[in-house]
Amino acid sequence: MKEIILKIKNLSCGYDSQIILSDINLTVERGKLLGIIGPNGAGKTTLIRAITGIIRPKQGNIFFEDKDIYQIGLKGLAKKIAVVPQSIITNSMTVEEFVLLGRIPHYKRFQFLETKKDQEIAKKTLELTDTLKLKDRSILEISSGERQLVLIAKALAQEPKLLLLDEPTAHLDIGHQIKIMQLIEKLNKNENLTVLVVLHDLNLASQYCEELVLLNEGKIIRQGSVNEVLNYRDIEKVYKTTVLIKENPLNKRPFIILFPPKGMDE
Amino acid sequence: MRSKIIRWIIWVGILVGFLLIISIFSLFVGSTYIPFKKIISLIFTGKGSIEYSVLFDIRLPRILLGFAIGGALSLAGVILQGLFRNSLVEPYTLGISGGAALGVCLNIILQLDRNLGILSLPVCGFLGAVLIILILYSLSIKKGILKIQELLLMGVMLSFISSSLIMLIMSISRTEDLHGIVFWIMGSLEEPNWSLIKAIVSISLLGLVFSYLFCHALNALSLGEEEALHLGINVEITKRLLFILASLLTGFSVSIAGIIGFVGLAVPHFMRNLVGQDHRILLISSFLSGAGFLILCDTLARTIILPLELPVGVITGILGGSIFIYIISKKQIKL
Amino acid sequence: MKRYIILSILSLIILFGNFKFTLSSSFLQRIISLGPYITEEIYLLGAQDKLVGCTIYCQRPSEAQKKEKVGTVIQINIEKILTLKPDLVIATSLTQKKDIEKLKNLGIRVIKFSSPKNFFEICSQFLELGKILGKYGLAKKIVQEVKDKVLEIKRKTKNLAKVKVFVEVGTNPLFTITKDSFLNDFIEFSGGINIAKDAKTGIYSREAVLKENPDVIIIATMGIIADKEKIIWGKYKNLEAVKNNRIYIMDAYKLCSPTPVSFLETLEELVKILHK
Repeated sequence: MKEIILKIKNLSCGYDSQIILSDINLTVERGKLLGIIGPNGAGKTTLIRAITGIIRPKQGNIFFEDKDIYQIGLKGLAKKIAVVPQSIITNSMTVEEFVLLGRIPHYKRFQFLETKKDQEIAKKTLELTDTLKLKDRSILEISSGERQLVLIAKALAQEPKLLLLDEPTAHLDIGHQIKIMQLIEKLNKNENLTVLVVLHDLNLASQYCEELVLLNEGKIIRQGSVNEVLNYRDIEKVYKTTVLIKENPLNKRPFIILFPPKGMDE
Repeated sequence: MRSKIIRWIIWVGILVGFLLIISIFSLFVGSTYIPFKKIISLIFTGKGSIEYSVLFDIRLPRILLGFAIGGALSLAGVILQGLFRNSLVEPYTLGISGGAALGVCLNIILQLDRNLGILSLPVCGFLGAVLIILILYSLSIKKGILKIQELLLMGVMLSFISSSLIMLIMSISRTEDLHGIVFWIMGSLEEPNWSLIKAIVSISLLGLVFSYLFCHALNALSLGEEEALHLGINVEITKRLLFILASLLTGFSVSIAGIIGFVGLAVPHFMRNLVGQDHRILLISSFLSGAGFLILCDTLARTIILPLELPVGVITGILGGSIFIYIISKKQIKL
Repeated sequence: MKRYIILSILSLIILFGNFKFTLSSSFLQRIISLGPYITEEIYLLGAQDKLVGCTIYCQRPSEAQKKEKVGTVIQINIEKILTLKPDLVIATSLTQKKDIEKLKNLGIRVIKFSSPKNFFEICSQFLELGKILGKYGLAKKIVQEVKDKVLEIKRKTKNLAKVKVFVEVGTNPLFTITKDSFLNDFIEFSGGINIAKDAKTGIYSREAVLKENPDVIIIATMGIIADKEKIIWGKYKNLEAVKNNRIYIMDAYKLCSPTPVSFLETLEELVKILHK
């Protein structure tokens, strides 16, 4: 239960000469549902890029299942870590074809066509995300909520042990937001999938995540349980705004109410 | 899923059939009429007669060249359109054809073929193409990353520079050289050297086989470089190898046959609408249809206004362009 | 006895075998011309029966228009040529090298006649053609007649005042003739001075023409362009040629067609123009 799946040690990285993240230390246990929160520009997306090996660290190491990710290699990593981006730009193709692209890391050297196993896995992920009915529709023609589910299905088709999601609920209506978060929760619980999800909505993070990591200006400000991280001092300092933190009567988790900057006195 | 495979097999079958029919048609047709029965007997009786020579020394080489170059240009078009994620890119956008044309111009006005033999013309063309490829490659790599958008812009610019240099050369050249340059540029599938024809056919087919090593990478790249990386594709190596492959196919084609436009742009575009964007079917479909299309255009070029011959680039441009416009406008009306 | 028979058979084989390798005129029955002036010369030599094909631009004499066509001067139809079964194809410097190579690969004999650079070359080419067609005697006669008449013209014009001439053979860009072209001989033989004789290339600027201020301007382009050019030159009122109204249009086809006979005809016309 206490097995460590991801370990980030003293990580500093960025683009060209600019350092975005400095001295990041993070340990993630297998099966955890970890939320990453922080204001815009805090380095959340950079963190995801670092974990997947797209950005080389200027300092520090990242270990996946005790192995340095640069020793695992891009293809190996793709079989273990999958990323769900916020959105994608693509040519017109069916939902099924799109999800099957997620099987590419698993293709053997000269494998040309999908095997039966590939097709079954694709079908399963479509079922898991409740998008099987869309499989023959064009990916460009479905709604953005449905598309987000399909993006998750494709990531799941990679059969990852760790799923990273970059603001999956941005641009979605509340109905779809809940649907996505419930799906993530289900995957985490039922499939024992470790999940790191970057969220901009603090209440969603509060409600669904086990633990949170609060990032600001490239550093981890606070890390821990939801109650620990969602406190006045840190939130107000980091987001530079006033908030009211109450307890959500339905699940006893912190609930953040935005406080208008002027007007009401409390 | 089965249906997808069946669909693909049917498409390949149709295209191979189309290619065969066009090739046979091209063999029959020309300024001399050779009846079908005669052709069959000629295949068996062998060399000696004029008709045999017409079929196998004049028409057949052109068909083979049309196959190789039509296939190579279409393949290069598919690869580049996948690499740049832009379906308006074609093999000549990168300026490679400009470099080849420049090489050929220099060869003609310096009369290098007097000293180095007639093979020096395609060699000069190829060297010109390679020069452009090297320039593009080295200028577009920054910090180990091949920047695709910069590659495209630089290619366009190099293309303009080459054209201007060629016009400069044309303005100071003698009349005879000028004619030679102009007609080379217009494109021709006439090639006296059999070993050159065999070489380009092999290169073309090799290119097709090699491109299939990247079919999954190309599919992944259609989602973007970052997404392709997430799928485990080594994007840097893929970009470089694909760029070199497409450039070499273009360079070889242009240095042997001159500038034959439209094939590398419209055939992939057209096939993408017919067979889909999955590169596993797109690569071979474009190759086969490009080959057939060029053979057809060349056949028309040499028979439409007998006994004169039009440059094949004229037919590909007019015929291809018109068909393309017609189909696109029809699509809009349907909507 | 046997030995002699074998020897004589062998020597006959060698003799006849050798025949194939020489351009013996009696074996050349079917000739294709790829240049209008070559076609003209073939007719001049009375060998038109041997001409089985020519280009669509071979329009003089008018009988040539009835011959089988094998393409243009620059783009030839190789298939057509092959089926006409020629013994010899005569190419020009405008024929594409690729096509010549292809014809040779198909086993067809090809001779290339480069553009003659002066009158002397025009004559020697004509003589060579005569040799090939088995009409050397006639060729020699024609050349001698032409040479005599040319000499006489040269003699007559030697003592006349030299006339400065500018010959325009192309517009956009402005193109004239330098000493590399046989057209230059026209001017020199007729007692003129070609202002562009020593120019490096044929491209000439109007400014340079104005500077040289020729007495005569000859426009040798075709059709409406020639008329337009005359009007354009007419605007430069300070030119000698304009002042004295000595801008002439000459038939470009005839001017640029290098047969000895047309050379003479053109020369005579030019003399009339320059020394009215």
